[in-house]
Amino acid sequence: MIELQDVTKTYNTGEALVYALRDVNLQVAEGEFVAIMGPSGSGKSTLLTILGAMNSPSAGQVTIDGINVYQLGAERQADFRHEYVGFVFQQLQLLPYLTAQENVLLALAVAKLPKATKIARAREVLAQVGLAGKEGRLPYQLSGGEQGRVAVARALVNRAPLLLADEPTGNLDRATGVQILNLLRELNRTGQTVVMVTHDPHAASVAGRIVNLLDGQIVA
Amino acid sequence: MQLTDIALNSLRRRKGRMIFLVLGLAIGVATVVALMAITDTMQTDIAVKMDEYGANILIVPKASDLSLSYGGVTVASAAYDVGELSLTDLDSIQTIHDARNISVVAPKLLGAITVGERPVLVAGVRFPDELRLKQWWQLDGAEPAGTYDALAGVRLAQALDLHPGATLKLNGQSFRVVGILAENGTQDDDILFIDLAAAQQVMNRSDGISLVEVAALCIACPVEEMVEQISEVLPQARVTALRQAVTLRMETVGQLGRFALAVAAVVTAIGGMVVLTTMLSSVSERRQEIGLFRAMGFRQQHVMRIILSEAALVSLAGGALGWLAGMGAAVLLTPHLANVTLPVQWNPWWAFGAAGGALVVGLAASVYPAMYAARLDPTIALRSL
Repeated sequence: MIELQDVTKTYNTGEALVYALRDVNLQVAEGEFVAIMGPSGSGKSTLLTILGAMNSPSAGQVTIDGINVYQLGAERQADFRHEYVGFVFQQLQLLPYLTAQENVLLALAVAKLPKATKIARAREVLAQVGLAGKEGRLPYQLSGGEQGRVAVARALVNRAPLLLADEPTGNLDRATGVQILNLLRELNRTGQTVVMVTHDPHAASVAGRIVNLLDGQIVA
Repeated sequence: MQLTDIALNSLRRRKGRMIFLVLGLAIGVATVVALMAITDTMQTDIAVKMDEYGANILIVPKASDLSLSYGGVTVASAAYDVGELSLTDLDSIQTIHDARNISVVAPKLLGAITVGERPVLVAGVRFPDELRLKQWWQLDGAEPAGTYDALAGVRLAQALDLHPGATLKLNGQSFRVVGILAENGTQDDDILFIDLAAAQQVMNRSDGISLVEVAALCIACPVEEMVEQISEVLPQARVTALRQAVTLRMETVGQLGRFALAVAAVVTAIGGMVVLTTMLSSVSERRQEIGLFRAMGFRQQHVMRIILSEAALVSLAGGALGWLAGMGAAVLLTPHLANVTLPVQWNPWWAFGAAGGALVVGLAASVYPAMYAARLDPTIALRSL
């Protein structure tokens, strides 16, 4: 269970205090698929980074599975991200000089697991997203859809209970975007909690619930 | 994929920059190693020359007030028993803190003995020590082998018509002259050298010693310290450091050594700055990547370990390469720059020193870039993607 209580995030520009989020209250149940929608500058990405234990709110509290995330120290927050959160970035952020398998293994670099276990797990999750046999390919040797799958595999390989996706279809062509959305939906059907930020209504339609943000506030 | 794999991967991807960094460190290390090797060789050369040029410490009894002259130095009179040194004092000399730097201890018993109607200055010595101390001695004849063998200074030999094989009596004891010393312009030309034990017997001064000459390798310790240490164990003796021409050259070498250290300090500082700027630049280029690591749950210490591992690998490579280049330069340049004949010693510990020094400088200079990387906010890093 994820719970945001009166979460506010402000940025001081030097001239004025800008509210990115204002008194946001949100609950996401385990196994839920939530889409956060809103126009540019509405606070969607800020909300996602706060959920991902990367961006401390100015006020309010964030509780995930009973853990008050921002009361943890900096290193424990890193541990929390490692154990609880898988992130699919807007630009996918695959490192171009690493193979698909190595990109996935990157998420396990600090995990205290034997090397063989890490490799087995990376291959398993790549197979899960339909990339069996393509583990040794570099990102440029993969299609856009396949690169997106590698990014999802990397987010999943830690078996984190929460998958956060920031505009996962934002830079993909429509067909590829559909592939990624279908993959997220399939994962959600297996019990994976997914929170996705998007401004695309079609993408949001695959989610079980849509939360609309406007000027840093939830409007519906 | 481990943290070290990430570090190695990063080095591979930035080959040009890292080769520049390795070369920068190597040039610094090579400069320091070459300077140290050259000055070390010069110091060793001086030490060897000092060993060849006789004693640099003279020990005489403190209480003596009448004297015989020897080598321009006033020594105790053989006519008085007061203040005489003894053989047991030789053992005490070997107990001083810097005893390992003592090269030769040459005791002497001096006395005037009448041969015929002429008084002769007789010196009882331990021939193996004396011959090692006075490597400039040239003999016409053989080195003494028996207790009653003697060497005669050239002027004494002329005055008494001595030649190798001649015999003479000292207080009733017969001695055989086995060699004549070539003229060397010192008082040795007028002295009859016999075995120390035989001299003690004929002068009836059992266990007596008039003076002790010591050759000390004073590169490792200043001669004044040795004098002080010997004075402490022989309070009844006056211990004097002999100033020799080589001292000036030692001071020059000492200045060279200090110059080498100063250059080393400057080069180390420059090397550190090169590492600092290169690593900072590398971190700045990799903000996106580091942000990704942090977003995936890498701790700050994990990021630091990646950066410091890269610095360690580059520094070790620079240190090893610099050692090789520095020693090579020293081998090539030493004969021309320092005018010494000794070969440069390939001390393996210097390799560890060079690599270790480079490692310390590299790591120290990379701490700030590593901390900067570790403190990158994951969201700021991701925003720039």
